[in-house]
Amino acid sequence: MSEHDEGRRAFIVGAVGAGAVASTALVQTAYAKTQKAKTVTAKTPTAVEAADRAVEAVEGHGVFFNDEHAATVEAFAERLMPGAPGKPGARDANVINYIDLALAGAYADQQDFYRRGLAQLDAYCRKTHNQPFVKLSAAQQDEVIGALEQGKASEFEFPTAQAFFNTLRAHTMEGMFADPVYGGNRDFAGWRLVGFPGAQLFYTQADLANQQAFTRAPITGLQARAKAHSKGA
Amino acid sequence: MAIEKTDVVIVGMGAVGGVMAAELGKAGLKVIGLERGPRLKTADFQLDELRYFQRKDLRPSPKTQPVTWRPNANAATIRLPQLDYGNQAGGGTVHYGAVSWRLHEDDFRARTQTIERYGLSAIPQDSSLADWPLSYHDLESFYDKAEYDIGVAGKAGNIQGRKIEGGNPFEAPRQREYPLPPLTKDQPSILFEAGAQKLGLHPFSTPHAILSQPYKGRPACVYCTYCQAFGCYIGAKSSILVAKLPEADATGNVIIKTGAMCYRVNSRGKRVTGVSYYGPDGSDNTIEAEIVVLGTFIYDNTRLLLLSKTDTFPNGLANSSGEVGRHLMTHVMPNVFVGFDDRHVNTYMGPSAQKYTVDDFNADNFDHGGLGFIRGSQISVGTPNLEGGPISFSTAAPPPGVPRWGASYRDYLAKYFTRFAAMVAQTETLPYADQTIDLDPAVRDQWGLPAPRLTYDWRRPNETATVEFMMKKMEEIGRAMGGNLVWRGPLSPGMPGAHHEGGTRMGNDPNTSVVNHYGQSWDVHNLFIVGSSTFPSMSGFNPTLTIEALAYMSADAIANKYKKSPGALL
Repeated sequence: MSEHDEGRRAFIVGAVGAGAVASTALVQTAYAKTQKAKTVTAKTPTAVEAADRAVEAVEGHGVFFNDEHAATVEAFAERLMPGAPGKPGARDANVINYIDLALAGAYADQQDFYRRGLAQLDAYCRKTHNQPFVKLSAAQQDEVIGALEQGKASEFEFPTAQAFFNTLRAHTMEGMFADPVYGGNRDFAGWRLVGFPGAQLFYTQADLANQQAFTRAPITGLQARAKAHSKGA
Repeated sequence: MAIEKTDVVIVGMGAVGGVMAAELGKAGLKVIGLERGPRLKTADFQLDELRYFQRKDLRPSPKTQPVTWRPNANAATIRLPQLDYGNQAGGGTVHYGAVSWRLHEDDFRARTQTIERYGLSAIPQDSSLADWPLSYHDLESFYDKAEYDIGVAGKAGNIQGRKIEGGNPFEAPRQREYPLPPLTKDQPSILFEAGAQKLGLHPFSTPHAILSQPYKGRPACVYCTYCQAFGCYIGAKSSILVAKLPEADATGNVIIKTGAMCYRVNSRGKRVTGVSYYGPDGSDNTIEAEIVVLGTFIYDNTRLLLLSKTDTFPNGLANSSGEVGRHLMTHVMPNVFVGFDDRHVNTYMGPSAQKYTVDDFNADNFDHGGLGFIRGSQISVGTPNLEGGPISFSTAAPPPGVPRWGASYRDYLAKYFTRFAAMVAQTETLPYADQTIDLDPAVRDQWGLPAPRLTYDWRRPNETATVEFMMKKMEEIGRAMGGNLVWRGPLSPGMPGAHHEGGTRMGNDPNTSVVNHYGQSWDVHNLFIVGSSTFPSMSGFNPTLTIEALAYMSADAIANKYKKSPGALL
């Protein structure tokens, strides 16, 4: 790296660090929340195991959802983005923690949307399968989700089945792929899945010309930038 | 209630307001600029896809600043779920992709060009397509000023009539080269260039208001991808925020008031006397001014005129023509996506919007005989939604046969996020008088003002034929790029797309237009309305550089003509 590049890099690091200060409060909130959540084993459970341990296994929620709702959303998200060996899914990424935090904060106006949507989902599952969503097999859960996506599930008024599906899908993707500072994408699970290196400050000419996956620098996020700045880097 | 006096009050501190405040301040006029949003700093901007792309932090909130839409006057009205214009000092240029075009010569005379080449019958009967009241050559020196002032990177294709290798062969003649060389090519650009050349097309690096080298004290682009939708975290993107507002400050003649929502232009007879606005504390304030400039996004240029009606102008200020709010145009943005099995593309690197372009199917650059449509589109390669992160990718349609969720969707994301490129055909739509902006009778914003209501549906015969043609062209290019998977993205159900134009049309005739080409109201000579709201037709190009060129021209006319002899400039 030339002297010029070093200088530029130092400048860039400083610029980002300074910007990070603005959202310190947000960082601290999310960080505390993330720390509280226990690490879930990376092993992906089978569908039956998942159903059996659903309620007690839900971790990283508590700001908004009650246990039952958290278990349902977590199970739903895991079917949308299922984990497999070497392929992190929604549970690995702690998507439930992301959604829980979002509903207590930026998406507080959607709390009732979720409560009503979950109540309707429960009614639909009990009507069609005599069981709540979390007690269904993976195949049955997929069948239910498919019916929501197609707008074919009865019991839904507000939100409509499709609106509820679309929102859960969007929020699951956000929890997978948003910066970990928001409480999901744990250990960069979502970014590792797709090969995104995160908040890289720059790409070089060689990076732009490369036809291979990017490996020059580790994946990085906003917290690392804020910490680097607070240490005076 | 505070009352202040000034020479000029400018509503909106975006592409128009920033340019005009700086230029009028330099000319010695006292200027107050009103900006409803905040004035952010480069240090405020984060590399955060959720905040800026997904949650649209730099855009107006649809909840507190609603805009409603209906496809036609008989249909139900809905609130638009997202709004894609600016909401802070610097306006839309803070978050824009910085694509910076001069329009083609024939974009300024689309009606005459069409009639001469294809006959009057080629123009749809219900279209209000009109020539601009000025030519490209009238605006060329202001385009030049904007490019050099603000900092645009690109390669000339035509300098004073001489064709230049590597530039856009269809561009209008320019007096000199761009101030900065093109940005470095990334993988999607390299593939697109090779594919398009294979088809005999003329690809080139899209001109961007992004610094390819240090310029005027600002650093060069670092290709970080946090570009369109984001504020640039090093100030290499030439937004008005970093390129013009400091200049305005330096004049000592410009005061910028943030959190200031203008709700009325005050007038007496055929003269405006100033504006009233709500301050950040809810206070009700008035500014008295010799000249009022409206430089807001097109919704508010129209809304303010309609809200400012008087006995003299019962249908809205400066609206004796009845043309205010009519001829709304937006770009339709059809996508074709390309996936590669044998290599990475890493689309997330580099400027995210419209990286590389072919102009072969834009304007009247090709023979439309027998095609069933007129005009065209810029076709470019880039990222889905003009943004290259994984949240953006998750919102783009997967190929046919791949579901939107579940294990196979996960595997698709895992494989193709880095092996993917998106093309977009930024399609010109024609003006139609019944595509309008007016005041929603039922929905109000956070200030209690009626929301702008759009009546618009792009799915007219000319436009649907254009989009289908462009889809096929993009599919051809995608296959020529070597993509294993080439598929179409879904089209919007008639909703307004990107880059809105119209509402306060400029023209030569006070009976059929709202302003002259200086943006001066025909009815009210000390009122100037500037921006894409004055475009008579829209072109297939992004509007910002043309908006800025018009702002330079209007400022020049006010400082050098109007100031000496206040009255009608034309």
